[in-house]
Amino acid sequence: MNAAQPILLAEDNPRDAELALAAMEEEHISDKVVLCRDGAEVLDYLYCRGQFKSRLRGNPAVVFLDLKMPKVNGLEVLRTIKADINLRPIPVVMLTSSREERDLAESYALGANAYVVKPVEFHKFLSAVKELGTFWGVINEPPPEGSRSSHPHS
Amino acid sequence: MDSTTNHQVEPPVLAIGETKPHADILPGSIGFSQVRVPWFEKLTIEQRVLAGFSLVFVGILVITAVSYHNTSILLANSRLDGRSHDLLQLLSNIDVAMNEAEDAHRRYLVTGEASYLESYTKVVNQKPAFTTYLRELTRGSTEQEQRVGVLDRMMDKQLSAESKAMALFEKGGFRSVKKMALEGAGRRELGVIHRLITEMDSDERQAMNRRVADSAVGTRNTIVLLGVGAFLQLVLLAWVYYLIRHDITERRRVAGELQRRGELLEAANKELEAFSYSVSHDLRAPLRHIDGYAALLRKSVEESLNEKGARYLQTISDAAKQMGQLIDDLLVFSRMGRQEMLRTSVNLEQLIKSILADLRLDLQGREISWTIAPLPEVKGDPAMMRQVFVNLITNAIKFTGTRSQASIQIGVDRPSSEEIVIFVRDNGVGFDMEYACKLFGVFQRLHRADEFEGTGIGLANVRRIVHRHGGQTWAEGIPDKGATFFISLPTRSSES
Repeated sequence: MNAAQPILLAEDNPRDAELALAAMEEEHISDKVVLCRDGAEVLDYLYCRGQFKSRLRGNPAVVFLDLKMPKVNGLEVLRTIKADINLRPIPVVMLTSSREERDLAESYALGANAYVVKPVEFHKFLSAVKELGTFWGVINEPPPEGSRSSHPHS
Repeated sequence: MDSTTNHQVEPPVLAIGETKPHADILPGSIGFSQVRVPWFEKLTIEQRVLAGFSLVFVGILVITAVSYHNTSILLANSRLDGRSHDLLQLLSNIDVAMNEAEDAHRRYLVTGEASYLESYTKVVNQKPAFTTYLRELTRGSTEQEQRVGVLDRMMDKQLSAESKAMALFEKGGFRSVKKMALEGAGRRELGVIHRLITEMDSDERQAMNRRVADSAVGTRNTIVLLGVGAFLQLVLLAWVYYLIRHDITERRRVAGELQRRGELLEAANKELEAFSYSVSHDLRAPLRHIDGYAALLRKSVEESLNEKGARYLQTISDAAKQMGQLIDDLLVFSRMGRQEMLRTSVNLEQLIKSILADLRLDLQGREISWTIAPLPEVKGDPAMMRQVFVNLITNAIKFTGTRSQASIQIGVDRPSSEEIVIFVRDNGVGFDMEYACKLFGVFQRLHRADEFEGTGIGLANVRRIVHRHGGQTWAEGIPDKGATFFISLPTRSSES
């Protein structure tokens, strides 16, 4: 069910994370958010390993991915997700400060579902995160779990 | 002193793009000697090589001509020598024959034997051939020809005297010719003939000796000329070789240097890109946080916040936003400088129309009368050209904001066939011409922030783009009357 599927937020900057959570709070969806502090944690979550070994199985409704993260950066995470037949259906939204053409082009080439530049002004940032959270976490129907189970875990 | 210190502290990055003076890249050293001839210094390498080869060519021509001339003289002399030998032989034959004629006629007069008459007749028969041959062999030498004439007459005289004597003998017998038989009828003529032949012989030998000497001199001159000429050619060719080789080495060095600088430049550009990437990413984050936390703070203390506190929080937010705008503008400015330029034709009329359509929302509530002249197509980058006119037009709109009836005019002027000038004129607040030079600088503003908003980068962008298109920018203004901004663009596109 949509309501049960979490929103995976990959954000290394604790302030950005706090601001994003504050925005989600206003929409009452902050409890659905799982926060990862770098790309490696995102992959741990998706593959149910490390600290996420015992989590409930199932893909998140959406992954909000920062580009610039320690260990494994956003583009590398994106590449891994879109290369894995089980993870490929998960919607991935790039949420970043960079409006460099190169990053945009590469993200879409790798299969990103959306690309959002974090606005400097807080109220714009707020509304952007709210809309994203509402749209991808509530309005949008995520891919069915079956799209995953038809291909056994590798 | 000031300038020297300036030179020393000049950052090395600047040196990358700096082009050295031409003379430094292709030094005009002439190599072989340190003597520097001013006019020669001015010649290009092509002209020098051409001059070298021309000299070699002329040298070869001279040597060939002189050798040909000398060899022809040698050939002519050897031909003349053959003739002289023939002449000497002929003279000796004539001498013998004339002696023979004299002897034979005397013996005939004494003995009356027919065999002597026969010998005599043979000489008489040979005589015309002798004369013909003589004339032929002496043709061209006046002195010898005159002598041949005298000789011919003498021979005729001798032979006719002898014939007369023999005819007398046949009529009157030995007694009638006794005296002649003893003395010889042509003795006197024979003496003259001898003398003439000796003279001709000696003259001819002298001429031969002269020719031999001439030929020897000619041959020696030819050999010397060939030797010296060949040496000079070798020197010239060596010089030309040196020039070409020097030039090639120099070119190779310059090419290497250019490549090295190109690589440095590319590295610098990469670094700059990485830098602006960092700026765009990392500088924005703290600004977002300032604005974000200010908003969160306002929200959490909303009830207890007094007016002063609310204004402080608002100022924090505004400052953060403004800095965000500055960063964005700077990024655009830096991108305008390094971005690849397209070269297509840009229809200015359509461009202006689409810009005004985009600005429609901002223009609500404003009364502006637009005067837009028919505009031409120009060559350039469409996105950059758009940036130029967006900046100029929004400026005009902004600075006429205080006018109840604003008027903005866009026009075109063609001062020459090589450039066109496009201007945007407004009746806004204008500016003091004293500050005209500051208008197009980065972050230069002529108005206080509370009068007109803006980051001061728009006109800097205009100038940068127009310069990259090979044009110029300038402005005219009268305080409180209005301003006109001009851009010129070359009609033939030139690379920046």
